[in-house]
Amino acid sequence: MRESDAGWAAALHRMWSSVSHITARDDLAQLILPPLQALPGVVAVWGLRHAADDSVLEYRWTGVPLEGERRDLARAAAAGLTPPGLAGLGFAQVLRDRFDLDGEAAGTILVAVDETADVPVIRTCLGQVIEVTREAIRQLGQRRAEHAQQTRDALLAEASLQMDAVLDTTQTLRRIPRMAVPAIAEGCLVYVVEDGRPHLRSSVHVDMRRLSGLLGDPAVTAHLTELVDGALKGVGLPADAALLATRAADVQPLRARGEVVGVMVFLFDRDDAAIPPVAFLRDLAARAALAIDNGSRYERRRRDVVTMQQHLLPTRLPEIDGLEAAAAYLVGDRIIEVGGDFYDVVAAADGSAAALIGDVCGRGVEAAALTGMARHTLAALLQEGATPARAMTRLNARLRLDGSWRFVTAGVASMRLSAGGVVVDWVSAGHPAPVVLRHAGPPERGDGGGAPLGVLALPSIAGSRLVLAPGDTLIIFTDGLTESRGPDGVMFEDHALDEALDRLRGRPIDELVRELAAASAAFGGARTDDIAVLAIRAGNCERGERHE
Amino acid sequence: MNDLIFVVEDTDEDVEAIERAISRSHPRLRPEFFRSGAEVLARLAEPGPVRPWLMLLDLNMPGESGIDVLRRARADRTLDDLTIVVFSSSEDQAETDACNAAGADSYIFKPLNFSLFQSVLSQTLDYWRSRPRSGNVARMVVPPPGESSAQT
Repeated sequence: MRESDAGWAAALHRMWSSVSHITARDDLAQLILPPLQALPGVVAVWGLRHAADDSVLEYRWTGVPLEGERRDLARAAAAGLTPPGLAGLGFAQVLRDRFDLDGEAAGTILVAVDETADVPVIRTCLGQVIEVTREAIRQLGQRRAEHAQQTRDALLAEASLQMDAVLDTTQTLRRIPRMAVPAIAEGCLVYVVEDGRPHLRSSVHVDMRRLSGLLGDPAVTAHLTELVDGALKGVGLPADAALLATRAADVQPLRARGEVVGVMVFLFDRDDAAIPPVAFLRDLAARAALAIDNGSRYERRRRDVVTMQQHLLPTRLPEIDGLEAAAAYLVGDRIIEVGGDFYDVVAAADGSAAALIGDVCGRGVEAAALTGMARHTLAALLQEGATPARAMTRLNARLRLDGSWRFVTAGVASMRLSAGGVVVDWVSAGHPAPVVLRHAGPPERGDGGGAPLGVLALPSIAGSRLVLAPGDTLIIFTDGLTESRGPDGVMFEDHALDEALDRLRGRPIDELVRELAAASAAFGGARTDDIAVLAIRAGNCERGERHE
Repeated sequence: MNDLIFVVEDTDEDVEAIERAISRSHPRLRPEFFRSGAEVLARLAEPGPVRPWLMLLDLNMPGESGIDVLRRARADRTLDDLTIVVFSSSEDQAETDACNAAGADSYIFKPLNFSLFQSVLSQTLDYWRSRPRSGNVARMVVPPPGESSAQT
């Protein structure tokens, strides 16, 4: 068999060269079975891959197909038995060898031979193939571990990137399990502590129907609650994998800034070798916890800002004969400090009315204090009968007296009813020009002018006159409305303001201000600043009747 | 179960990434690619014994959307055994809920990083191959060209 020896050695070498390059165990059979099949006297070569309980996961073959009842024969032969059915297939003998490797599915190779085969030689060849296979699978496992490490590194990097990109807790809570499943686990549940109790806020499974079944089972939810409560108290309770219908589970507390903000539960169906190390799960949970905590802090801060902003604005506008008034205020998407926009409407004893609007530059506590002062100063003076110019001069003096570097833009629209409609005297101190939305006609822009208050010893104030016919609407606003910018840098004022106004013509006035502010905010997206809009609509010109 | 899977994806980059990822993790699988919902629905309607055991479905496609394909496939009782995996970069929870309600077996998020992309695909395929609906895999071994004279 000298010549055959040389042939087999070459085949074995080719086999070794090939198997060291495969990337999946599925590729192995086509490399290791055919050379055995090629040996003289070999009738069939059957390969069996075993599960952890020794049942057979996969069947491979050359020669006689391993299908149907032959699989029962193969399993019996793999177990060392000699079922009579094998002879019926023309097998004189079946040689068997097996490899087992920690953390890998074991395998059996069966070589069926006829009477002509040189059994000792074939047994030696089978032994050599088993060794090559064992080494190939060991290398595959090593490469798989390296790949798993790369995947985990990538997941941590992507998790940090994705979670840092949003401050919206709901979105963060959805992202966390969606990134983990199925990259590192088959299922992932995120519980967040709210009002002192854990609540399931997000859950993902590679098989959503299975998850739905689990969460619909009271025994499962009770067990999950027990595990989560334990984790919150720092007690690691063992998970009942059978009850959870999974191979393994891991529970990680979500700890951020020394506080446990929730719990993550991972469900694994995969082999133990493919379950990430606990240190990795802890690391992922720590990043998730920080993202959740950042989001919660941001949301708390934002709620505080919105509440404080509401305190700086009138809770309701006065009713004025012959006029309708409505206002809208939107806090910018990413704003976490109180802004300086303000507005008010003042009804004077003589039946005239004034609408005022302003914007203190900057944000924060100092800007908020100035905002309150500016609004109340202007409103009080106007109500006492001071002219807008006089009220602005007093505010200018006060700002300069306080020594603040902050300046204030302001506009006051004094309105009185006349036979032809409503006469509006607009006084501006560096404030954006108003818009008149005609009842039947295109929107018209008024004049701005003047200089912001608090800058000059003697204020620069500009004045202009507008007349509103019945149904016309005066719209005054802060620059957040007009200067919100789209992704291409184009401003709402230049691109979409007129279109929005045309669309909103004839709408009820409260709807008009709300939708106009919303259109600008949608145009500017996350970059939008605060927006204040105040609209006054001329009703029927006869006193006492409201325009409908 | 056979080795055939359908991939419905209209983006060139994603088609390339899916092809590369599957060829590395599951070289025995035969992915057949479709660039639109209409294409795959026509193919699924063809009579013939070879049906895919799994379909990987993108959601946002011109014309018939992924969810349309999903609904049409789930309305066809002859496709009951087909595992449908929605593979999307959409973060819209309403879309996820709609897919689950329409009978998707999985809704998997497309990662940006290729290593993660490959791992996500591989784990999804492994999961569904191991489920009872799929059954055990049995395949004839085809030797590499010139390797041996063994019968296959």
